[in-house]
Amino acid sequence: MKQKQFEHAHAAFWQQLEQSLADKKNTEENFPAMYRQLCQHFALARQRGYSPALTDYLHKLVHEGHLQLYGVAVDRPMVLHRWLLQTMPQRVREEWRLMLLAIVAFFGIGLGVFLLVWFQPHWAYSFAEPHQLMKFQQMYQPDNIKIGRGGSEGDVAMFGFYIWNNVSIDFRTFAAGIFAGVPSLISLASNGMHFGVIAAWLSLDDSTRETFWSFVITHSSFEVAGLLLAAVAGMRLGFSLLSPGRMTRRHALMAASQRMFPVLVGAAMLTVIAAFFEGFWSASTSISAQTKYVVGGIGWLIVIAYFVFAGRGRNDAA
Amino acid sequence: MQDGRLSLTTPEGVRLALTPAGPAPRAAAWLIDLLIWMVFIWICLWIFGGSKLGSGLIGLILFVSYWGYPVLFEVYFSGRTPGKRVMKLAVVRADGLPVGWRESVLRNLLLVADFLPFMYATGLLCMLADQHFRRIGDIVAGTQVIYFDKPPVRKPLREVEPVPSPIPLTPEQQRTLLGLFEREAQLPPERLQELASIAEPLTGETGAVSLEKLRGIAAGLSR
Repeated sequence: MKQKQFEHAHAAFWQQLEQSLADKKNTEENFPAMYRQLCQHFALARQRGYSPALTDYLHKLVHEGHLQLYGVAVDRPMVLHRWLLQTMPQRVREEWRLMLLAIVAFFGIGLGVFLLVWFQPHWAYSFAEPHQLMKFQQMYQPDNIKIGRGGSEGDVAMFGFYIWNNVSIDFRTFAAGIFAGVPSLISLASNGMHFGVIAAWLSLDDSTRETFWSFVITHSSFEVAGLLLAAVAGMRLGFSLLSPGRMTRRHALMAASQRMFPVLVGAAMLTVIAAFFEGFWSASTSISAQTKYVVGGIGWLIVIAYFVFAGRGRNDAA
Repeated sequence: MQDGRLSLTTPEGVRLALTPAGPAPRAAAWLIDLLIWMVFIWICLWIFGGSKLGSGLIGLILFVSYWGYPVLFEVYFSGRTPGKRVMKLAVVRADGLPVGWRESVLRNLLLVADFLPFMYATGLLCMLADQHFRRIGDIVAGTQVIYFDKPPVRKPLREVEPVPSPIPLTPEQQRTLLGLFEREAQLPPERLQELASIAEPLTGETGAVSLEKLRGIAAGLSR
């Protein structure tokens, strides 16, 4: 069949298809059948060597039809709910070895540095600049902790800062993990080290001990958990590249990122929760230190219980 | 893959060709997006700056816009941020379908890894090494940046007396011949005649005479 005849025979049909593609909602009922017909026309036109203008035009129509037919996002109700209550804790438990490594990297180094500075205070200067230590000491003076922020508006300011800063640290810890997981570990270790040296330094001083610990205790459970999760997800990416198992490296990397995505979402959410506590509650002077310790302790219990027990015995694919 | 295109076979068995975009237009698109974001932040600083409440808001806006800007545009505007729209690029999944939240978030978070050690050096190296110009984020998320071609404008050929071809032509040769006359308006006459002279084995002539013969054959092919 000559191209002219071919075009003449089907032009009306292509027009109709073009219209239903332009229509965003696409009310055409037998669109799949029409699309298959179009694909046949396209294959025929190409096989018969019709002009580039015609085949390009049909190619364009086929591409749009392909998007229209297969590009519809599948409705997944309650996906976030299931991620948070089942998938995320399950995945974290599956990665318990990496989690252990992350905990050792953060708390191990943190505790090590803490003890070192506690018994040999001059070591603090090896980990932090003297003016930094001075600044922290001033920040956590009982009279200063609220005044410097300027009431509830200051709380909002700190909240915004914590969100921007802390969640961004999580994201960077995750993404850099692709380089064999090392940058994630370094991020954990350096955060642990900073925490250790500042905690020890401020605990040595009677005036700042209580303000520091009562400030840190509440939000630390969520914030540290968020950082640990981001690091675990990042290390998983890096290790999947190092030892891809039976898959190609590319596929191993893609599979790992798909598996770790809910964990990453969880890390971001935990850190946002932490920023709420850190901004609006931790620095409040109208709440007694005892209350903060109790709430903080409950926070840690909730986080630990969540990762140990949530989603056990349920196995829905996500 | 001989023309640098990425060929996808759809479930209907036809092949879709997508053109992967290289580092230069993507860098330009990134720069445009960066400028837009910086202007936006500058306006926010100008409106909210100064007060403590405002600086909290700015922190929130920084966070949402910095991490959310590319993701929101890619998910809701069929893979195109404003910069990509200007450069006629789009992000699609490896199977040619629009990106979802997961793909978009992963590929944009991994920009951090592509940035290392400085100025997207890793991303550039990865793009140059990869067959389809994918950076690390694209490989992890299973995405691909392609040129989003405009629909071709179809122009009718000039009407002449159709002539049968002296020898059977392959589909590829037919496409070449028809393509020549579809691009006729964009080529100077001398160049057209020069090209027609190459077809001497087919027409037995050179120059303008050959061109007219070819025109007849092309007309014969298209009806």
